Amino acid sequence: MKKILVADDEEGIRILYKEELEEEGYEVKVAANGKETLELLNTFFPDLVILDIKMPDINGLDILQRIRTMFRDLPVILSSAYPEYQQNLATWASDAYVVKSSNLANLKAAVKKNLGE
Amino acid sequence: MPELRKDPIVGRWVIISTERGKRPTSFKMNERPAVAGGFCPLCVGNEDKTPPEVYALRRDGSKPNTPGWTLRVVSNKFPALVIEGSLKKQGEGMYDKMNGIGAHEVIIETPRHGGSLSQLDLKSFEDVLWAYRERIVDLKKDERFRYVLIFKNHGAEAGASLAHSHSQLIALPIIPKSVMEEMEGSKNYYKYKDRCVFCDIVHQELDDKIRVVVENDDFLAITPYASRSPFEIWLLPKKHSSSFVNISPAEYISLASIFQDVLSRIEVALDDPPYNFTLHTSPFNELINDYYHWHFEIIPTLSKIAGFEIGSGFYINPTPPEEAATFLKEIK
Repeated sequence: MKKILVADDEEGIRILYKEELEEEGYEVKVAANGKETLELLNTFFPDLVILDIKMPDINGLDILQRIRTMFRDLPVILSSAYPEYQQNLATWASDAYVVKSSNLANLKAAVKKNLGE
Repeated sequence: MPELRKDPIVGRWVIISTERGKRPTSFKMNERPAVAGGFCPLCVGNEDKTPPEVYALRRDGSKPNTPGWTLRVVSNKFPALVIEGSLKKQGEGMYDKMNGIGAHEVIIETPRHGGSLSQLDLKSFEDVLWAYRERIVDLKKDERFRYVLIFKNHGAEAGASLAHSHSQLIALPIIPKSVMEEMEGSKNYYKYKDRCVFCDIVHQELDDKIRVVVENDDFLAITPYASRSPFEIWLLPKKHSSSFVNISPAEYISLASIFQDVLSRIEVALDDPPYNFTLHTSPFNELINDYYHWHFEIIPTLSKIAGFEIGSGFYINPTPPEEAATFLKEIK
């Protein structure tokens, strides 16, 4: 079973993503901030990370930098409510950028694509 | 007493402080350019993190999308406008809309991370200018596009999000309003005087000398009479030329030389300030004309636009362009 780490400071998003992705057959763990995300990266060893950009302690783009230093090819999907971050070229270190929506079709498609399914 | 000065092309007014202006040291900022360190998706070896290149210079015969390049142009990985589809222009009551079609590309100017354009060797700088030209020529073939905007953000305050030197290009299905205003202003001047307004500016500035920063045989760098912001610089061809894509190979060398000189002067005088530059050139539907004159506008990000500027369309410039030119001229 493929493992997905969801990092988002919004509890509702964490619950929604976890439920929906578990229904798709993935093992999912959630992190509520940057510190938890970095810890889980080294204990859970996910196959893919879904990463929020605006988080309270460490900015998602800084976490992305750290992920790339540790795991260059680990698929990372940025998930943000703010489409304007797309103009920030630092997002290019990720593999996909999905604007948050209650319809998870785009997110699920990006997950499948980046897991090679 | 401050002066209200009018830009002769678009009629924009600016308020210029004519008393002792703010000197370069008054603006010095310690802000370093953009996000530093860590993983850079534009660096050599990370070609898999960018979309496939649409243009590249590879002197070692290396394969596309592998290391070995000296310059790459790639599409934006997460574009705001999309390249596929039709425009589908339509009305929505009194409002107009069309599909968000466009091309958004990034010109990766050098394989070296962290350097600035002014630090490139002259040939590499010339390559960047050629890349602008080649991409404009290629995108012009797409009938949906009417204008290609080329711009550079240098430094975080100017909007750059990576320290790796790059510029950007956006091909648009519409002519931006600011370009339309310049075209209209130039046409009106031409109708009235039968001369290109930019040619007149070039002649007057060469006579006056007080706003000339530097010149060579083909180009002139000036701080414009109605500069919107401190140390604003325009880089213009001395001879009339309506489109950037129509200049000669020798002129590209000459342009690279003066452009690099100007950027170096700004970096020295203002301690590597954030800046933006944009290429202003004729739209595709009127590439060759007698009234418009392509040029680059370089604007250091030294002051913030606030309510007055937004509400009035006026700018307040605390450094008279004549003083800015003097400071920049003295830089060796």
